[in-house]
Formats: sequence, C-alpha cells, structure tokens
Amino acid sequence: MYRAAVAMCGDRDDADDLTQATFLKAFERFESFEKGTNCKAWLLSILRNKWIDLMRHRNTVGQILQIDENIVAGQEQNDEIKYSNCEDLLANFSDEQIIKALRSLPAEQRFPLFLVDVEQLSHEDVAEIMDMPIGTVKSRTSRARAILRTKLFSHAKEMGFTGGER
Amino acid sequence: MNHLTEEQFEDIMQGLLPEPEHLTDCDLCRELLAEKKAIANRMRSAFDSVKPDKRLANNIRMQLTDKAVSEQPQSARRLSNIRFKRMAWPAAAAAVLVMAVILGVYVISPSSAMAARAELVKIHNHNLSTDHEHEFYSEADPVKLAEYFKSKLGFSPSMPITDQGMALRGCCVRHFRGQVVGSYVVDTPQGIMSVIVVTDKPETLGMGGKFECQGRVFWKSSFAKCDMVTVRLGDYSYCAVGEISHEYLTELLSRLMPDTHQ
Repeated sequence: MYRAAVAMCGDRDDADDLTQATFLKAFERFESFEKGTNCKAWLLSILRNKWIDLMRHRNTVGQILQIDENIVAGQEQNDEIKYSNCEDLLANFSDEQIIKALRSLPAEQRFPLFLVDVEQLSHEDVAEIMDMPIGTVKSRTSRARAILRTKLFSHAKEMGFTGGER
Repeated sequence: MNHLTEEQFEDIMQGLLPEPEHLTDCDLCRELLAEKKAIANRMRSAFDSVKPDKRLANNIRMQLTDKAVSEQPQSARRLSNIRFKRMAWPAAAAAVLVMAVILGVYVISPSSAMAARAELVKIHNHNLSTDHEHEFYSEADPVKLAEYFKSKLGFSPSMPITDQGMALRGCCVRHFRGQVVGSYVVDTPQGIMSVIVVTDKPETLGMGGKFECQGRVFWKSSFAKCDMVTVRLGDYSYCAVGEISHEYLTELLSRLMPDTHQ
C-alpha cells in the first residue's frame, strides 16, 4: 500500500499521509468490503480515491496533469531511440530515477502501469480499481510504458548511458 | 507480416497469451517485448527499495487501536459524536482485524478483555511515540520517578532492579478503562518495554496463560506485535508490555519488589 502511495505522490511525507488516510478510510468503510473479494484491490481503490481527494483539496490536479502532459509531448520526439540491451541500459538508472520517471507520467497512466507492472495485478483487478473498462486499462498501460521508455531512453542519451545504442 | 498489437503484448506480459510463433520470426516484436519486460522488471526492482518508516505502521496501528477501543458497545453509546458511530461493533472489530492483518499484526476481537489489551498496547505505543513526548516525564532516577508517581497517583509503584543492561527511561500518567494509571518505560538489551500499573486483576485484562515462576504467579498474553506479562503485587497488577519475549518480560517483573508501595 505504501509503495502505491509513493507511486501516486512521489513525496515520502505525502505517501505517509496517503497511506494513513487510506487505512482509516478503509476502517470507516469496512462494511462496503465484500467478503471473498480481493482485499488488496479494494484497498488500492480507496487509496486512489483518497489521492484524488487530497489533490482536489490542494486544488492542484489540473496543474499537475497539464505539466506532465507537456513534458510527455516534448519527449515523444525521441521515440526512435533504440538500445540493443535494454536491461543493461536500465541498470544505469538509480531506483529513485526510475520512480521519478514513473511519477512524471499523468496519474491516469501512472497508476495502471504501476498496478500491472509493479504490483502484478490482473487487468480485471486494475479495471475495478480504476473504475474503467479492461480495454482502457490495457491501452493506458501500454501507452504509459511506451512514454516511460521514451523518457528513460531520452534521459539515458543525455547522460551518456550505454546499453548498446543502435 | 502482421505485427503484434498492443493488446496482444499486454496479454503476453500478463501470461494470458502464450508467446506466438510470430516472435521467432519478427525481430521488431521480439525486441519490443523484451523492452517491455525489462522496463517492468526494472520498475519492480526499483520499488523493492521503497519501505515505509516503522513509525508509519505504528501510527496506523495506534489509530486503529484507538478506533477499536472507542468502538466498544458502551463507549459507542456514550460517544454519540464519533465518526464511525453507524458501524456495528462486530463490523468494526472485523475491520480492525483485517487492517491489523494487513499491517502485519495479530488479532483484535470485540471482547472487553481484548479491548483492555488493546488499551495496554496503546499506552505502550504512546509512551514510545514522539507525538506524545510532551506528556512523558524523562527520568532515569527511580527515586525521582517514585516522587513523580506519588505526586500524581498518591502512591509509588514498585520498580525493578535495573542492572544487566536495563535502564529506566521515564514514566507517564495515562488513562486506562477511564481511570488514571501510571506507567514507566524500561530500556533493555532486548528492546523497550512499558510497565503499566493498574488496579484491575489480571483475569479481567484478558491475560490467558497463567504460570508460575520463582514462586510468583504470572499471566501472559499478546496483542498486535506486543507480548505482555502481568503479575499481581498487593492491590496492583503490573503489566509489562513490549515487542519482547514473554520470558524476558517475566524476568523483568520478577525483579519487582513486592513491598515497595508507599
């Protein structure tokens, strides 16, 4: 749950607050949990909603999305960068840099990608958490991973990281 | 040649589709899949290093314990303005149970005995919490601690002989079952423990396992991550609470002098 909060917030203090708020909300809404269903998915959907609440409270959601999408638009020009050994290339990045790159994606792409790739949840579970069709989950995940790839490869080029550029 | 669609890539990544033969013939799709897998693996390994501070779990545990205590039937009737008043007590207990399991702690049940143990752990957590340090009297001198207790409670509880790496950290006066009680904290080589002095008898505190050691009768129990051992001395029960083994808690309580209440 804390990892998901970090993926959403980026900042550790905010992630602490979000995790706490999630568990308290879960306690408050425990009657809505259906026995036998996926408890983790239920908690993650609460976390997502709490995050949206927190962002609304700070009145910054629009601003964040706008900035993120601008960054994305600018970086897609580097879509053609290719490396022969992607694993080696990615090993050049610190954990913080990887998380920061993920964090720079728009929230509606970032969270499904995190849930699918990091938490290894099924498309069905993610669809339930995100309250969207499975097809949308797949397309957003795929798109998010492609943007993340572009950002990382672009940064790798700037930093002179090697992974067998072609 | 028809390349794989994004949806097919996603299904292959999830193991919903076997890798098609196309991948053996198509360098582009094979490399793309390898890239996607590498990015997913790297993200997973990056998040492996993300661990919450211990204080976060403690804070959440304390907040949930607060709720567990405040959701007792009597309390629920009394506290009509609590936020979760519409939640039935069994549901609240079940909620705490699930939350507690997720947080890596053990079981909370709706009985008052269980709530008593929850309160004892809460007092211990408050003693250790930096959020409540202004309520804590930091003092290692047992004489000064005794004076403090005397002024606050009207008596001085028994204190252990603190050698072999044990040291008093300080004390605090808190509420237990609506009554003012004293507690003091002892640093030990095995961790930190609180000794909470209450008038309630051990049997009413949900202390299940009764046993004898060095001619004294003890009761032991556990709640959340804490073990607890209680001994009755005179009119008081001494509850040692901490993330420390029952054996060590018993050893500390064995060091209490039975006739030091003043």
